[in-house]
Amino acid sequence: MGFDTSLIAGFPTAFLFFIAAAILPLFPHGKIRGVFMLVVPIIAALMIWSIGFGNFAQIPFFGFDLELMRVDGLSRIFTLVFCLAAFLGNMYALHLRDTTQQVAALLYAGSAIGAALAGDLITLFFYWEGTAIASVFLIWARGTEGAFNTGMRYLIIQIGSGVVLIAGVALFFRETGSIAFERMTLGSLGTWLIFLSFGVKCAFPLMHNWLQDSYPAATVTGTVILSAFTTKLAVYALARGFAGTEILIYIGVVMTLFPIFFAEIENDLRRVLAYSLNNQLGFMVVGIGIGTEMALNGTASHAFAHILYKALLFMSVGAVLFRTGTSKASELGGLYRTMPLTAMFCLVGAASISAFPLFSGFVTKSLVLGETANAHYQWVWLALVFASAGVLSHSGIKIPFFMFFAHDSGMRPKESPRHMLIAMGITAFLCIYIGVFPQTLYAILPFEMDYQPYTMGHVVGQLQLLLFALLAFGMLMRTGIHPPEIRAVNLDTDWTYRKAAPSVIGLAARGIAVIWNAQIGFLNRHMNGMIARLNHSHGPEGRMAREWPTGAMVIAIAGLLAATMVVGFL
Amino acid sequence: MAEYNTDPDKLPRLGRMLLWVDKPGSANKLFWGLAILCGLLFLLDFTYEHHGHFDMENIPGFYGIYGFVMFTGLILVAKALRVLIKRPEDYYGDKAVDGEEYPAEKLGKETHDGL
Repeated sequence: MGFDTSLIAGFPTAFLFFIAAAILPLFPHGKIRGVFMLVVPIIAALMIWSIGFGNFAQIPFFGFDLELMRVDGLSRIFTLVFCLAAFLGNMYALHLRDTTQQVAALLYAGSAIGAALAGDLITLFFYWEGTAIASVFLIWARGTEGAFNTGMRYLIIQIGSGVVLIAGVALFFRETGSIAFERMTLGSLGTWLIFLSFGVKCAFPLMHNWLQDSYPAATVTGTVILSAFTTKLAVYALARGFAGTEILIYIGVVMTLFPIFFAEIENDLRRVLAYSLNNQLGFMVVGIGIGTEMALNGTASHAFAHILYKALLFMSVGAVLFRTGTSKASELGGLYRTMPLTAMFCLVGAASISAFPLFSGFVTKSLVLGETANAHYQWVWLALVFASAGVLSHSGIKIPFFMFFAHDSGMRPKESPRHMLIAMGITAFLCIYIGVFPQTLYAILPFEMDYQPYTMGHVVGQLQLLLFALLAFGMLMRTGIHPPEIRAVNLDTDWTYRKAAPSVIGLAARGIAVIWNAQIGFLNRHMNGMIARLNHSHGPEGRMAREWPTGAMVIAIAGLLAATMVVGFL
Repeated sequence: MAEYNTDPDKLPRLGRMLLWVDKPGSANKLFWGLAILCGLLFLLDFTYEHHGHFDMENIPGFYGIYGFVMFTGLILVAKALRVLIKRPEDYYGDKAVDGEEYPAEKLGKETHDGL
């Protein structure tokens, strides 16, 4: 396609991003650098698209053969959407004059793409850690102490995931003698550790909270970029390594359910979106757990659509934050007056994530739900349908409604900058395009399939679900039962390491201090007694140090002589 | 309600068109329009042959009823959950992002022209 593939065969796509990141600072800030940031992902996408399927770059590494460029149906769709996300994110961030964030964005996208193209577990590990290290700069770039602390927590967890991964890989290698990244079966400690490390990045329940902690702390543009890569890389890794692992179905269901309750009462809209992201990952994880070709297609297509509409939602909230200085629902409202285009794009994102017919979420989530039904998981299916209504409540209604409509906050911010509008416009267009022409997306899925999402029963059922839920929302608003938006934070598992653990450590420290002081006190008192006793006997006034008269010495010698004499006479 | 600057002539055209939603009575119209739409969708369920995978899918209005009930339940449970887990914004101290201002120099705060 277009250019000679023999030139690029053997050149890993990830390196393109790394080279770009290295030479980026040579360009002056402004148009040229902006264009450069946009061109890199386009070239990368063309590379992946035109190279065909196969393994293209092997390098020896300490006796291992590393596979840096495995292109197949599964890795192609994920890397293509990563390129697309990098392009849109960079477009959205065109106003930035911050080399750190630009370099971090390129390295981060490159690492995620490199990881998705890795054919072996060691290469995967390197890129896995690469995504962790590159992405934290998008949080730190906010430049506040809060962001620094959040970034440290994020980094510890992300790096930790990589450490668990390499431990698992080492055990797996000892057990099987292979480092190939193929489908595994849970059983040995090695595979469990690999599974766990994927789970951390995929925000499994109880391991999820780094996501809601860190994404709202990143910069306006950083969050848009963060939202695309890390978690979807984990979804890819699970789909590659653990497809058909039944436990994933149940993990996935829990992931779709618990975040919708938290999202409902969260005030920071970027955190609402982070919970919503967690919920969307759940649908993908269920698909992986079912593991049929159709279900994996569902997961891959849902990841593709999700990256776009989630980026669009983060963009719209980010644009409001950019213009008003806040992303808190309690402070916002009525912004449609002066930011109508942003409001429209946000509504497209909201409709897409809620899976309204003709929008992208509808044509991809149906695949997962359909396969859940085909596999006869009735309770799982019911839970997923419920979770779909839950998505509507926070992402479909809450995000656009409390930001752009609801009560008038009095804020009259200017419309988003043009490059942000263009980025949102393209993303919104893609969300609708995929919804209207789903076969375009279906054609690049990992497995061939023949599926028609637009059937009468399906469309009517979905519209009923959403519109009746919307009606319930209207009733709850009219009766005042719907919980108001208030300034507050809500506890989640981060409480354990932000409050509980520090207070346990504090308590332990106090306990240790008490024991230490008691011991020192005890020693002090007894040492004093010992010193006093020694002083008593050996001190200046002590018996042993007393000055004795010389006569005493004569008497002693006389006694000694007398004793000697007695002994001599015997 | 406080008086805000809402001179419609100064709004962007699309924003001006959307002002309809804040007119008195518009919310009512939207709500009842939605209710009628829901009614029609319910009736639509009787007009075609269902191929649901599970028996319950073939109950007319299953999705509507399920959506309505579960959505309401979700909101009520979330409201109860808030009682348990809500904390003041500065709960994690002053070195957390929740209580911080976003650094203004990194934003493009601007007000709409003329307002």
